[in-house]
Amino acid sequence: MTVGTTPAAGLDAAAREALAELLLTLADDEFVLGFWDSEWTGIAPMLEEDVAFSSLAQDEIGHARVYYELLAELTGDPADGIAFGREPEAYGHCRLLDHPRTDWAFSVARRYLYDTADAVRLEALSRSSYRPLADAVAKIRREETYHLMHGDVWLRRLATGGGEARTRLEEALEVLWPDALTVFTPLAREDVLLSTGMLPEPISVMQQRWLTRIAPTFAALGLPFPFLADDSIYRPTFPVDLGGGRTQHGDAFQWLWGEFTSVHRLEAGAVW
Amino acid sequence: MSTHTTEGATDAARSEGRIGQVENEGVWEVFRQEREGDPMRHAGNLLAPDAELAMHYAREFYGRRQESTRLWVVPRAAIVDLSDPDLLQPPLDRSFKKPGGYVMREKLRAARKRVEEPRG
Repeated sequence: MTVGTTPAAGLDAAAREALAELLLTLADDEFVLGFWDSEWTGIAPMLEEDVAFSSLAQDEIGHARVYYELLAELTGDPADGIAFGREPEAYGHCRLLDHPRTDWAFSVARRYLYDTADAVRLEALSRSSYRPLADAVAKIRREETYHLMHGDVWLRRLATGGGEARTRLEEALEVLWPDALTVFTPLAREDVLLSTGMLPEPISVMQQRWLTRIAPTFAALGLPFPFLADDSIYRPTFPVDLGGGRTQHGDAFQWLWGEFTSVHRLEAGAVW
Repeated sequence: MSTHTTEGATDAARSEGRIGQVENEGVWEVFRQEREGDPMRHAGNLLAPDAELAMHYAREFYGRRQESTRLWVVPRAAIVDLSDPDLLQPPLDRSFKKPGGYVMREKLRAARKRVEEPRG
């Protein structure tokens, strides 16, 4: 097998299964975040931000579509069917994305944590030996540049805004931190992904790189960062439970699922 | 003057970089270039509390559909406004200032004749 050119047809059953799991987690993360954030359309703090945030949400749905289509090529199932045709328990988004929209500070904090984590993940996947994924990620990363800038400006704004903005941001982070780590929930077939080079580095390594990268921002803003650096390794000061990090979904997601599948469920198999 | 008071408050809000009420936010004028080499044309304006968010919003309003290759985002306060009619629309005939104000046809014909005569 030549590194950098692994066509779907050249993958054995184990590799296909492993890749399918990876693609589904990527797709579902973007898909679910896109729908949560689209809940701000019409009610964001100001008109300009309403357009901006809705556009970001739309971008995420676009990225999800790219991943669902890669998955469709691999499995032969239609992308729309994968996106809309599953029961809520079958979605593989991480627990960070299981929380509802809540308030503006909460949505900003969640987006900051997710976007910075996703950036580390995309950086690694741009070197994936599965070329269609590496190519797609290269394009997605160009759009994520803007998402990172937008997240950064809002995190700093709320953190230094004082009063209610600061308090709400801190409260949101307290709730979100334990679940933020679930972006890097180990995958069942990670060993296969690593040995084939489809995943260029272990998920646990990505997690550490993410924490190392964002630690200075949280320190500078004096925001909650519940980790202790020990020999350049960030260890959480709270009990970590990544079990079910991508399989346990609560009532909030049940509601969202009902919303985003409502049209699809009106008439099963309808064609656009 | 009351307008000056309002402008002062806007400047203060802008320098603090905070989001205030709508009347305390800055207006930004956006210019866009559609294709490489095209001139910058006025696209419209938006409200944002500082340059950073103004840039984000300009990108969303005038660039998210790949319709622009470059944007200029300018605080309206940086624009020097000139609309004095005495300077721009003076009452006397100014047609002699326009290139079309000179009737060149006869002069050109005479000149051509002068150039052609020695040859003939």
